[in-house]
Amino acid sequence: MNLVRAELERLAARRFVQLMVVLLAFAFAVTAATTLAGSHKPSASELNSARQQATEARQSMETAFQECVARRDGAQPTEDGGSFLPDDCSQIDPVLQDRLPIAADFLPGVFSFAQQARPLLFFLIAFLVLFGFLVGASYIGADLNSGGVVNLLLWRPRRLTVLATKLGTLLGTVLVLALLASVAYLATFWVIGQTAGLAGQLSGEFWRELGAVHGRGLVLVLLATAVGFAIATLGRHTSAALGALAAYVVVWELGARLVLEIVDAPQSDLFMLTSHVGAWLNGEARFYDEQICRGGDIGFNCQGFYTLSWLPSLLVLLGITGGLTAAAFAVFRRRDLI
Amino acid sequence: MSAVIEIEGLRKTFHSMRNGRRVAVDGFDLLVEEGQVHGFLGPNGSGKTTTLRALLGLVRADSGRMSVLGQPSPELLPRVAGQVGAIVESPQFFGNFTGYRTLRLLARAGGVPVSRVDEALDLVGLRDRGDERVKAYSLGMKQRLAVASALLKDPRLLILDEPANGLDPAGIREMRDLMRSLAATGVTVLVSSHILGEIQLICDHVTIISQGRRVASGRVDEVLAGYDRHEFLVRVADPQRAAELLDAAELTAVVDGEALVVSGASDPTVISRVLGEQGLWVGELTPLRPDLESVFLELTGAHPSVPRQVDDSALPYAAQGDAVIDLDRGVDA
Repeated sequence: MNLVRAELERLAARRFVQLMVVLLAFAFAVTAATTLAGSHKPSASELNSARQQATEARQSMETAFQECVARRDGAQPTEDGGSFLPDDCSQIDPVLQDRLPIAADFLPGVFSFAQQARPLLFFLIAFLVLFGFLVGASYIGADLNSGGVVNLLLWRPRRLTVLATKLGTLLGTVLVLALLASVAYLATFWVIGQTAGLAGQLSGEFWRELGAVHGRGLVLVLLATAVGFAIATLGRHTSAALGALAAYVVVWELGARLVLEIVDAPQSDLFMLTSHVGAWLNGEARFYDEQICRGGDIGFNCQGFYTLSWLPSLLVLLGITGGLTAAAFAVFRRRDLI
Repeated sequence: MSAVIEIEGLRKTFHSMRNGRRVAVDGFDLLVEEGQVHGFLGPNGSGKTTTLRALLGLVRADSGRMSVLGQPSPELLPRVAGQVGAIVESPQFFGNFTGYRTLRLLARAGGVPVSRVDEALDLVGLRDRGDERVKAYSLGMKQRLAVASALLKDPRLLILDEPANGLDPAGIREMRDLMRSLAATGVTVLVSSHILGEIQLICDHVTIISQGRRVASGRVDEVLAGYDRHEFLVRVADPQRAAELLDAAELTAVVDGEALVVSGASDPTVISRVLGEQGLWVGELTPLRPDLESVFLELTGAHPSVPRQVDDSALPYAAQGDAVIDLDRGVDA
């Protein structure tokens, strides 16, 4: 417990951590201020007009779908009267759409919390993932490089205990910080929506979905933190983690992706970590691969999409993080600290 | 007296892609007994710091047996870590912390009462500067802080690697007084240093390492006595004639300017009697005693007149005859 307290104090005192927290607060403040400045409370007439436009948009979608079905069934001539109608009418079936037009879509200059909460949360999660990775890497990297770990080991000559305490303290701190930041962040935009915009349809399902994204985002933040910590431990330096990240992005996400496309590798997105990050965060991810439609009995309406669900993505992310962390502990246990 | 530190046959080899294989410590032995102030000497790259790191579990030894306060190290080092204060080379501290906060964190991590922090700062002369940030400290102040960190635990054993690094003459003297006062309270001190005069003043025992091997060990005065050639500096009016008379008396005399260096005389009165009987009156008769520096240079083959590289493979003096001078155990051939 004493070691945890000491590590907490060291972590909180790190300039880099303080700088990242300030940056987080700054980004938060800028986003909130610009949102507040660019939004206003809609008047009754604006709301009525928006609702009417939304109703018309939904009706228009329904009409287009009915026309498409009628043409498909031969009840109407194939000419579509100037509007585009796809061969596969399910593409414009209102029932199958992710979402239907709502009044908020027709209220320019009005911030809608229900509409914007998810993308805002994604932005925050992206920042916190970066925060966790960099803080995790610098926390152990700087300590290894400066001799801080050696100092500590002279006091507590139990390497695995010391490293595990450092990682545990780091993960706990990042989790608490991420939780507080995200709750404050969402609460602020909820207040903006209530007072200077539109709250929108905040149903139970909305909160459940937002909570799920939030939870998955926090898991991702912790995984990124552990990965940064593990790579910096393996490389003895913060820059090892930064270099590994840059090398991965350039060599694999850009270079290997290009090569896989050139050699027509099937479902190459499955080999990219970003695909798994996206699938985990969103619950699933869809990717296009024209090879899917090249088979003999795929059918005329093959669209060439395949889906990556959250569970295999989580397993991949956990496997990589767990592997790197285990390697870091194994190496640190035997390493000469000079 | 019981052994506080025991090292037998310690061997450590470093491997690197660029430099290949380098033997840092090669079958090294060390014995430090309770209450000793034990000097640990060796040229740069001789294996001092590697030995201390291995002893403290920071470096994995290839082979050998080590124990600290009776516990095998590094396996059971945690059992006695609370009684061992150590600094290895110049420890780095977090620049943004004050000296006080640095020690408080260490005290907290090691389960030591925070009240010890003030005592430790006071002991090393940093009491009035404890509230300043470490980055504002001079090298000598950082070194004092390092020593304070080692003293926090109120240790039974203090291991100090080059504690005088960066200290000014007054600081070196304070450090010497501190070690003496600690030794007087029963703390066993193992101190490595390049400042041989300091070691001679502070330490009662010494171990000299060269090329990863022990080349001398024992009480400081006995190690020095082992290198005493019983030489005397003699000043007389006619050195040339005096040399002839001493040669005739089966003593070896070499004329050195206006003086003579006489060896082979176990008793200086023989010299004054031989010369006096022939009417040559001795103006000065001074025994030429070896100091630690001359012994160190002789044992490690580090002669100041020859530019020497840290990794020179020249065998140390004692190793040439494959013998180790251990005055506690006799000479091992």
